[in-house]
Amino acid sequence: MSKNYTSYILPWVKTAPGMSIVISIVVTVAATIDAGPYLLVNMVVTGGMLALVATGLTLMLGVLNIPMFAHGEYFMIGSLIAYYIFTPISEFIFEHPESWLVTFGPFIAIIGALAGGAIAGAISEKLVFGPLRRRSTDNWVMNSFLLTVGLSVLLINLHQLIFGADFKGIVGYWQGMPISIADVYVSKDRVMAFIISAVIVALFYLFMTYTRTGMAIRAVSQDIIGAEIVGIDIEKIVLLTISLACALAGVAGGSLLFMYPSYPTVGLEPLYMAWFVVILSGLGNILGAVAGAFMVALLKVITMEYVGAGWDFVVPSALIMFILIFKPSGIFGSDVRGVLDK
Amino acid sequence: MLLEVKNLNAGYGYLQILRDVSLHIDKGEYVGIVGPNGAGKSTTMKTIAGLISPMSGTVIFNGEDITGLSASAVAKKGISFVSEEMNLFVNMTVQENLYMGAYTIKEKHLQKERLEFVFELFPRLAERRKQLAGTMSGGERKMLAIGRGMMSNPSLMLVDEPSFGLAPQLTTSVFASLEVLIKNGVTILLVEQNVTKTLAVTSRGYVLENGKIGLEGKSADLAEDSYVKKVFLGV
Repeated sequence: MSKNYTSYILPWVKTAPGMSIVISIVVTVAATIDAGPYLLVNMVVTGGMLALVATGLTLMLGVLNIPMFAHGEYFMIGSLIAYYIFTPISEFIFEHPESWLVTFGPFIAIIGALAGGAIAGAISEKLVFGPLRRRSTDNWVMNSFLLTVGLSVLLINLHQLIFGADFKGIVGYWQGMPISIADVYVSKDRVMAFIISAVIVALFYLFMTYTRTGMAIRAVSQDIIGAEIVGIDIEKIVLLTISLACALAGVAGGSLLFMYPSYPTVGLEPLYMAWFVVILSGLGNILGAVAGAFMVALLKVITMEYVGAGWDFVVPSALIMFILIFKPSGIFGSDVRGVLDK
Repeated sequence: MLLEVKNLNAGYGYLQILRDVSLHIDKGEYVGIVGPNGAGKSTTMKTIAGLISPMSGTVIFNGEDITGLSASAVAKKGISFVSEEMNLFVNMTVQENLYMGAYTIKEKHLQKERLEFVFELFPRLAERRKQLAGTMSGGERKMLAIGRGMMSNPSLMLVDEPSFGLAPQLTTSVFASLEVLIKNGVTILLVEQNVTKTLAVTSRGYVLENGKIGLEGKSADLAEDSYVKKVFLGV
């Protein structure tokens, strides 16, 4: 029996995904032993958030062929909505400490951020991407890329104009003592942020793998003409995909409001990190994006620990460039020829 | 009459390919369109399937005007298009590809029934149901494309160049599978470069040249026609 297992595992370890996952795990364990368990906790929380933003990005790129550079702004919209929902709730909680809102108030804010992200995504499809697609799909990647950059500038400045450039943050979602896990004290907010992102990514994965609509989204990403001739309504799928992707960014912004207060350019850091993830892990692969998210989070956390806080963009991007020299389609890039290769 | 195409003009951008193409298909018929490269055979198919919107002319299916509908709307009406490039979902398994073929069918048990039916037609696909479509051989992909086209229980199948890029033996088996579909009561419009083969299996045929219908009639008669013999068969 054990021989059977090794014959499965050994070849897997030699592949690029296997090797990188094993190395990541080893590095994580070594760094955790050396620097302390808080490093592991930081990595897991950052990785969970990155996974949310990066799966949205993968979806936009894989299904719609849009290199989305405005994705961070939906993170910003999510955090803004969560702030404006949660501020009155926290005032109410302060006066009524026994209320049910103590436990469930934060969920209202986070669900609001999710819905807000979805609605903002649908609006951008109707006002920005839809009109471009109906006009012309020539040079689509470049044109849609420029549109997303413009959208990003617009949304950042709208935030500044309407809500001001100050930090709009909260002290924390859930009150009470930190939870102790393996001798580390982790605030309830961090634990919840991780649980929320884990649950959402898992649900999203199940949705994409097993439901009819999720399969239709994948079908559109693999062959748009094939999807049309089996009767899939492309317009509907496109609208749904954009809202889903933006909802994922929105919920990430909402659930991390305690770490990242809302301000106009709050989305840029998650955006760049998510692009690292997408480039590193390859296109259109949700599980790959999740694994890649934790790898990038690990790189970031380790760089901050051992090199210095100012280097947290330099080291990951240098390493990613290095990896791409050997594996241009990304670590989890598919070996099967897809539409993009044509 | 199941499908009636009247005075169809279509093309890409400013380039007109089809000029006043008219054809009709009755229920249960096996009709072929033959013609040289660039005659507009595939364009005819794509226009009927809704992938190209025509400049003028009408397409009537089951008594209903479907001219200019989107491809997904045409698929919902019961026309299934097996394209030359197959347009399979390469990163999905065979079974997932087939289930996507039944996208227009909402009921789970009907989807299952169709799947069983297709697996019966093509036992090879049943063996490979867990395999990714992109990793299959050319002939198997063709079978999968035809199987996927069958999944929606279409009243009309448009099959474009099933022998394209296939070894001769595989061509024979693909034609054999179309034969089985005809026996099951499916109506097929077939487009082929292989003139001899097409005229041998179909019951009626059209000859398309430079975007116009040149000749039409019973396939057996067309095969004996001196013009067809001279131009296409080189006899």
